[in-house]
Amino acid sequence: MTDPLIRQKYRVGGATWATFILAILLLWSLVAIEFAPSRMLQVPGQVARVLSFFYPADMAYGWSAVLPAIIESIQIAWMGTLIAAVLSLPLALFGARTLFPRIARLVKLISATARAFPEILLAIYFVPIVGLGPFAGALAIGISSVGMLTKLGSEVVESIDFGPIEAVEASGGSRILALRYAVVPQVLPEIVAHWLFRFELNIRASAVLGVVGAGGVGGVLLNTLRYRHFEKAAAVLLLTILVVLVIDMISGEIRRRIIRS
Amino acid sequence: MTPAMPTKPPIKFGLWGGSLAFLALMTVWSAQGIGFSLSELWCNLSSGSRLLQESWPPDVAFLPRLIDPFIETLNIAIIGTIVGGILAVPVAVLAARNLTTGPLVWFADRNFMNVLRTLPDLFWAMLFATAVGFGPVAGALALSVFTIAVISKLWSESLEAIDMAMPEAVRAVGGTWLQMVQFGALPQGLQHYVSYALYAFELNVRASMVLGLVGAGGIGMILETQRANFEYERVTLIILVVLVAVLIIEQISSSIRRRLA
Repeated sequence: MTDPLIRQKYRVGGATWATFILAILLLWSLVAIEFAPSRMLQVPGQVARVLSFFYPADMAYGWSAVLPAIIESIQIAWMGTLIAAVLSLPLALFGARTLFPRIARLVKLISATARAFPEILLAIYFVPIVGLGPFAGALAIGISSVGMLTKLGSEVVESIDFGPIEAVEASGGSRILALRYAVVPQVLPEIVAHWLFRFELNIRASAVLGVVGAGGVGGVLLNTLRYRHFEKAAAVLLLTILVVLVIDMISGEIRRRIIRS
Repeated sequence: MTPAMPTKPPIKFGLWGGSLAFLALMTVWSAQGIGFSLSELWCNLSSGSRLLQESWPPDVAFLPRLIDPFIETLNIAIIGTIVGGILAVPVAVLAARNLTTGPLVWFADRNFMNVLRTLPDLFWAMLFATAVGFGPVAGALALSVFTIAVISKLWSESLEAIDMAMPEAVRAVGGTWLQMVQFGALPQGLQHYVSYALYAFELNVRASMVLGLVGAGGIGMILETQRANFEYERVTLIILVVLVAVLIIEQISSSIRRRLA
């Protein structure tokens, strides 16, 4: 028997190998992007220097130019989430292995592919189609959210109780009626909570779409930083942080209530 | 005699009406704000199909020039995940209510974490590109900060759910706070930590592909120049490469996660 009070002899195990490999990967990457120690020492000074220009924030610019852009971001996120919600609800039902074993595999494949796309790449395609502006952003957000909402939604559908479905079918209801009266009421609260969560994520996603000209606050930040108007950039950051925190709080509270009831 | 029917549950008209009215209002307001119109989308689909024709087939001859930027993208994601993953450990421990050193530290750390989380990855990239200059170093720094935000938020929540008997035992035999965390708490949270770190790596790979849009290095820089020149056959090629890479890395990472679970 081993005595727990005596230190075991150190063995080279999985954790040691993992640390070793990670260290090699890190070193290789640092060398590859030429992030030398001398450069690392400069970074804190550079960051502090730029940050010092950020004070005081130009709030007059904030209220007149930044707030409308943030509101546009919220509108993009809302419409995008709505598009995704409408498209993903039927997909989530068909993606449930327990209800539609054959179609489910195909739906899951589509949703995995859709999830791999960063929304900003979709925006690159939508901007030439519908023109520069928030409409392209909303479409990009909508399409890219479908994947995740379908995945989460079909997981919810897979976890339901089959009793009500059997009850509807036993009393002569069709498949469609079973979906409407036995499946949808069971899954809707959780699915709506997922929609809200995705809305929170989409607020952040829509904030960056302006970088490719798809509307919202990202373009404003890019321009203020590019022309070195740091006080104006500070207003963008301040207002974005505030608005996102408030929306997160409200949406999180609603989600908690939906799940509890 | 008809059998006794179960009574229909009463419908809460106030709650339903209120939420539906709010939804409708938000939707109309957003749709108007971003100029959402299905007819416009329909009209523009023809110009869209012209774009799709131009962007197909992808310009495969361009592939060799993508290798170096692609490796740079991976380097950025690796540095971001490892550096951010290490820095996230103290942030997460101090934000866990059962492990933190005091209410003041907990409050400050919690708010720090929430503020980090509000800003999207590309905002960090823009800020660091301004501070330390365009290039992969800015991208690596941005993803480090982004990774701290992702891992610390998720992990602090799983640390709050650990079994406190072990940390208390370490305390009872006279261990310091640091020893309590190291021997009592962290081993219990290790599995979650690895799985969150892999998740952060997936997010980082996806993010590092687009960091170049704001000048922070990687394959996105090439994407930005080809997009600006309307070389859509090349844009398609880049996007396909990104898609395949993201899917492969997600497969590897999720198979590691399954094996650990």
